Amino acid sequence: MTTVTIDGKQIEVPEGTTVLRAAQMAGISIPTLCDHPELTPYGGCRLCLVEVEGARTMQPSCTLPVSPNMVVHTDTQKVRDARKFVLTLIFSERNHFCMYCQVSGGDCELQNAAYREGMTHWPLQPNWQPFAVDASHPYFVLDNNRCILCRRCVRACSELVGNHTLGFEERGARSFLVADLGVPMGESTCVACGTCLQVCPTGALIDRQSAYRGKETQVETTASVCAGCSVGCAMNVLTRDNHLVRIESNWEGPVNGGLLCEIGRFAQQMEEHERISTPLVRKNGSLKAATWQEALDVIASRVRPLSGANGVAALASTRLPVEALSAFKQIFADGLESDMVTSLEEGASTAAAFKLANEMGRPFEGKLGDLANADLVLVFDADVTKLHEVASFFFKRNLQAGTNLVVVDRNENELDRLGIPVKALRGSQAEMLEALTAAKSGQPLDIHEVKTGVPAGKLALVGELLRDAQNPVIVYGNVDGADLKSLLALAGTAKVLGVKGAANSFAGALLGLEKPFQLNGHQAVFVALGDDEPSQRLVKKLTGAPFLAVQASYASQLTAQADVVLPVQNWAEQDGHYVNLDGHIQAAHKAITVPEDVRSNAAALEDLAACLGITISGNWREQLCQRVSAAALEG
Amino acid sequence: MDVEMLEGQKVIEAVQRAVDHHGVKREELIPILSDVNRALGYIPRAAFEELSRLMKVPTSQLFSVASFYQMLSTRPVGQHVIRFCESAPCHVVGGRQVWQAVQDALNLRDGETSQDGKWTLTTVSCLGICGVGPVMMIDDDVYGNLKPSQIPEILARYADRS
Amino acid sequence: MKAYRSMVLVSNDPGSIQAGAQDVLTTLQQEIKAFGLEDEISVSTVSDVGRHDAVPMVVVYPEAVIYGPVTKQDVHYLVEEHLYKGRIASALQAPARELSGRIAWLQNRKGTLPAEQRIVLERAGLIDPDSLDDYLLHDGFVALGKALTEMTPADVIAELEKSGLRGRGGAGFPTGTKWKFVSRTNSPKKYVVCNADESEPGTFKDRLILEGDPFSIVEAMAIAAYAVGADEGIIYVRGEYTLAQERLKSAIQQARNYGLLGDHLFGTDFSFNMSVHAGAGAYICGEETALIESIEGKRGEPRARPPYPTTHGLWGKPTLVNNVETLANVPPILRHGAAWYRKFGTPSSPGTKVYTIMGNVNLTGLIEVPMGITLREVVSIYAKGMKPGSTFKLAQTGGSSGSIIPASLQDTPMDFDSFAKTGVSLGSGALLICDEETCVVDLAKVLLNFFRKESCGKCNPCRIGNQRAYEILTNISEGIGSLKDLDDLNMLSEYLYQLSNCGLGQTAGTPLRDTLQYFRAEVEAHIRLKVCPAGVCPMSGKKH
Repeated sequence: MTTVTIDGKQIEVPEGTTVLRAAQMAGISIPTLCDHPELTPYGGCRLCLVEVEGARTMQPSCTLPVSPNMVVHTDTQKVRDARKFVLTLIFSERNHFCMYCQVSGGDCELQNAAYREGMTHWPLQPNWQPFAVDASHPYFVLDNNRCILCRRCVRACSELVGNHTLGFEERGARSFLVADLGVPMGESTCVACGTCLQVCPTGALIDRQSAYRGKETQVETTASVCAGCSVGCAMNVLTRDNHLVRIESNWEGPVNGGLLCEIGRFAQQMEEHERISTPLVRKNGSLKAATWQEALDVIASRVRPLSGANGVAALASTRLPVEALSAFKQIFADGLESDMVTSLEEGASTAAAFKLANEMGRPFEGKLGDLANADLVLVFDADVTKLHEVASFFFKRNLQAGTNLVVVDRNENELDRLGIPVKALRGSQAEMLEALTAAKSGQPLDIHEVKTGVPAGKLALVGELLRDAQNPVIVYGNVDGADLKSLLALAGTAKVLGVKGAANSFAGALLGLEKPFQLNGHQAVFVALGDDEPSQRLVKKLTGAPFLAVQASYASQLTAQADVVLPVQNWAEQDGHYVNLDGHIQAAHKAITVPEDVRSNAAALEDLAACLGITISGNWREQLCQRVSAAALEG
Repeated sequence: MDVEMLEGQKVIEAVQRAVDHHGVKREELIPILSDVNRALGYIPRAAFEELSRLMKVPTSQLFSVASFYQMLSTRPVGQHVIRFCESAPCHVVGGRQVWQAVQDALNLRDGETSQDGKWTLTTVSCLGICGVGPVMMIDDDVYGNLKPSQIPEILARYADRS
Repeated sequence: MKAYRSMVLVSNDPGSIQAGAQDVLTTLQQEIKAFGLEDEISVSTVSDVGRHDAVPMVVVYPEAVIYGPVTKQDVHYLVEEHLYKGRIASALQAPARELSGRIAWLQNRKGTLPAEQRIVLERAGLIDPDSLDDYLLHDGFVALGKALTEMTPADVIAELEKSGLRGRGGAGFPTGTKWKFVSRTNSPKKYVVCNADESEPGTFKDRLILEGDPFSIVEAMAIAAYAVGADEGIIYVRGEYTLAQERLKSAIQQARNYGLLGDHLFGTDFSFNMSVHAGAGAYICGEETALIESIEGKRGEPRARPPYPTTHGLWGKPTLVNNVETLANVPPILRHGAAWYRKFGTPSSPGTKVYTIMGNVNLTGLIEVPMGITLREVVSIYAKGMKPGSTFKLAQTGGSSGSIIPASLQDTPMDFDSFAKTGVSLGSGALLICDEETCVVDLAKVLLNFFRKESCGKCNPCRIGNQRAYEILTNISEGIGSLKDLDDLNMLSEYLYQLSNCGLGQTAGTPLRDTLQYFRAEVEAHIRLKVCPAGVCPMSGKKH
């Protein structure tokens, strides 16, 4: 610990703490622009300059580590004058006429700092050159006229996301923010994660959808969890007058640490289908509006007599909160004792892992956090770029620092160009795993080259990497039972992580909802679709079902052929919990209020249970613990 | 093979030669970029992309580095590049008049390339031969103690050189 | 080791090359071969010879006869007469004239120029810079041998501290202290870096050391590495200095072949390897942390300090960064001892300083003189006075970021402390002498133009401040300035110093400050009277 004095306050902070953080710990606020708590200190804007006794010049508090008995002044006239001068310079560099700017009036850190420092005018005459606004990107606008060259976006793109799209052109007065080789943002390698938007202190990078729709002070913020995939990113849903304005990441998120991907930040806001706002019951061949009681009665009357094995088949989307999945399971598996109660993904991404965990009697999978510390990541037939993209950020950002990446995938994988691609020309997954195992233990590889078509030299290289790595992680996708055992054997002490399907795949598996779906004389089908989209395959399978009831947020081919449709809330409208791919249980909160007729997925099922006379327990946590989990549960 | 393909081939070869010579470690980046620049006159997009692939360094970083250094060019240049020193030691011994003479002779301003692609005219901060100012370089040739009257004759030496 | 009876040097400064020096060199080599003299006579080149009236020049040792200008056609005659028959080819001798710089010194080795003293340039121009043999014949690697076999690393540092050597890169930090900082760090890997990114306009002293005596830097770096506990050295050479890069690469290779670099030097446990890293044109890379970033293959942007390179330098390891001239002082100090070194210069700034002289004087060039000589002495003795018809107006010392010195300060001794007292920086040793035809507004504009382009752009004060200052000066030079501009310029200059991240930004305002301090009336004339007293500024009344 080091003792320092800041503005007369003596405080003790850990060695290496910067003066800025030390001041913050002591409750002293120093204005900053280029600093961001999630990014490496940069020291470019100089707004945080302070006086340090004994120093020749003023010192940037964001990069200056404390030293024993340091005496710092953050609020002298000299410091205040210097801050004002720094702001004067920034305002003189480019077009900072605030009146037309999206972030003006509270959301602009530059403007806020200017108000705070009492700037009344621009002492230096601005002489800026106008730049063309880059509006080529589908989700955001880059306006270099508002850019203060603080490089938060560049650092975020590299240090957090590892995508390295943003960079700097030229130097000195000609310094300029660019994408890749100076191409328009919309044509760049940008993956549209939007992290740059969130860290930009000014209106240089703004979100198209939410522009001018509400400032920080005018919106409500609700903590939620992304339902886009099984990573389970914590996020904040910003609403105004009960309308969704935008989604921002939550820097405190235990799983994602403040990152989101395109799906999480942007895609979920797109409502492409017609909303179902009232219960529907088929009368004389067509769906007619009905009351909840009518609709539930129709379902109950058809389903109640079908108790037992081949009675009613039931399917639930794994986008549903745990509360709903649990009620669903209790109604159909426990109450009606049906033999066909499963999820829409039918256990595709979980069955093998849970079977193995149950055989082993313990969880065997690691945590997403392991990826951030890995010195070797082996991706085995897993997609971590189209889906689960945030997981890829955790290691992409470490590749330049020396983390090795091996991509074993028969198909094109977007990660190929970043690592060592291992493409099997022939043979099965089993043969590939055999080859890698042989490579790791240094056995002759000629036969494996023949079996897999992967050059022996490349196999040997991967084997060496696996042997030498201190913190290796294997990320696998679709691997079936026997092969998973081989994969685990190959891993040895390496951490193993399986990507799952939708947001609650893991919960679905824990509740046993992972059977392959098949109609076998079933007289009725119930689908808890929620805000999910039905696959063509499912629609086809259910065509001609004697009775079909669907609870859904949106109209689809499935609801069109249903006999009863129950209107339910989407991810943003209901409370609920999600269990992500590594066993983290997180809560999502209701951000938008809908009319009473649209009920939450859990409430709809609870109402159905009541109608059927089935008692269900709300203790879903207990139910999650009835099976050995593939990864230890947390939270 | 059409012209563009040839260009592409030439670029790939220049990059490969530089990488063969220096290796792909990050600390060799500036020497590699310098070699490519020397071979091609500038660093074209295809060269950045190939280097990115070979060195596993993102193109944005290659571009950020290349555009930082004055001796590396990210834009096409003319057949002959004139680099004229605009620093104080050359300036106070008549540099301005010589600079005017060069601009007049070529009808070009700082940073411009002639329409026929023959000349690129650019100012530089210092060439390190300040004892003989005013100084300029044409390609690899250094000219010192310049007087405005010498300019037409010096430029004429490059008239039929390519 | 091969011994030659004679050595011939051909000048290859830009002026000489322009006048056909390359042809002369090639022909000379052919002729010497034709006469069968190639085993008796070595041929090499010499850079900046300090005079440009009779180029290309050919200098023949040991007689030190200077021929020039020599044409390709003259070479046959010259070789036949002087090298074959042994008679001076007087028809080709350079015009007798008082000479400056190196050749002046060569001709006056007994010392008619009282104050000249060569320590770091002791061999430059005298030996074949491509020949390790030649270097060894001239006390080469004696200092390294002495350090490795007779001294502990602590002894070496102690000797350096005793000598009082201060960094010649500009800041004047005590070299021994810096070495001690690095030697005290506890790291299995340390680096020694030679800063040869001499980009300060008007400075070319390091180039002459590197081109004329490259082995001295190799030797000095090995000594430094031994003293601080490093095993790897890197010389970062300015991109434009291609000859220096080649000479250094050749020197390193030869030293390696002789076992003077590599493992177990002089039979000790000390191992040292080094390499050359070329820059690509960026003034800022002379700043030591920017230089380190550049070696690591990044944009040359200075790091935040602390931590300092002495503890967290190249690849995060303790790194000693020294300027070329600083290092060149090390072998002589070890050979002759600190007491000898302290005989030169002043008590607080011992030793010599290499100055490069430019501007409106009769002789431009380079001199190495003891610290403490005055500007007036430099101008009158070494530069042979101002050009006919012109009078001294000001001098800028130390390159673009140096101080503007008015006539009234001409008699201040040029050493670190005397200069510091008057608020003047010694800088890199560049001396730009300007006469009355120089306009201070115009000069300041040129300097600020330099900084706005050479700033790395990382920190706001430097990136924006220099641009604003340049624009204000441009307005003044167009006759559309206001008196408020002067306050703004003063404010910019002060805040550039106070707020900038590195030395570039911190010193960029120096010439601005000095101009307003010493030449305010002249600047005001541009504003109040709309007149440029020197008749230089456009004063068009139009916004540029």
